[in-house]
Amino acid sequence: MTDALYNKFVKRWEEVTDLPTQTVGPLTPFYKAFVKRLKVMPWPLLVAGSLVLVVGLYLLLGSAVTLLVTILQRGF
Amino acid sequence: MVNDILIAAYRFPKRVIGVILRPYETYRKISSDGKPWELGFIAVCAVCYFATAAIVKTSLFRPFLLTRQFFALFSGAAATYIIAVGLFWTVGKLFGAKGTLRGLGISWGYTLLPTIVWFWVTSLLYVTVPPPRTTAPMGVAFSVLYLLFSATLLFWKVTLAYLSLRFALRLDLVKILATSAIVLSILAVYSVGMYWLGLFRVPFI
Repeated sequence: MTDALYNKFVKRWEEVTDLPTQTVGPLTPFYKAFVKRLKVMPWPLLVAGSLVLVVGLYLLLGSAVTLLVTILQRGF
Repeated sequence: MVNDILIAAYRFPKRVIGVILRPYETYRKISSDGKPWELGFIAVCAVCYFATAAIVKTSLFRPFLLTRQFFALFSGAAATYIIAVGLFWTVGKLFGAKGTLRGLGISWGYTLLPTIVWFWVTSLLYVTVPPPRTTAPMGVAFSVLYLLFSATLLFWKVTLAYLSLRFALRLDLVKILATSAIVLSILAVYSVGMYWLGLFRVPFI
């Protein structure tokens, strides 16, 4: 039992340390806080990001966003 | 071979749920022990979309036209997948990538899930709420919701693509950005070609 648990731990450890940790200089804490939210159940962050983008587009283009949607709807 | 197919059939739904809920951990597993047969199940999902698109795009319900449209879409998407994987592999190697081509091929295959969902929903909306959109309040409201849906799937796709390059090619953030910039520039030119051929107005990458 102990051996099995130890082997599982070693396997998991190797998996986690397989890739060197990503750093981005002084922005590393922000990067880690951002990425942490994308690792498990990323949808709230994805939807929040999309909301910001769409509101930005609406403020920029106004009702002309309907033109963009018309093009996209014909794009499949 | 039957065993491999059964294993892939058992794994595929778990992987899909994993890619939706726990993308980081799932992509780590896909890159290390993904089986080529899993791509077959992704191809089946794509085929369902191509069948829908062939029916929606072809105004006449003629078997020949439907089949021709279906094979054109399928060939275009398959070619794009092969070219995208080939380019990421080649350019990634220039930046010191260490992974395997198999890992990249399988993990990149899973990045097609958001693409298939977007194209499939868009083709269904084309029938149920056909364009053009008007600037009336309902038209603007639909446009905002549709853009929200599209942007969310795009961000999901970007996340999966990043994880694919991170785990399959073992690149860091800067190298992933550099590789993506080069490959996407080439794919942009390629997409113009697909547009002129009338296959995909929005690139099926």
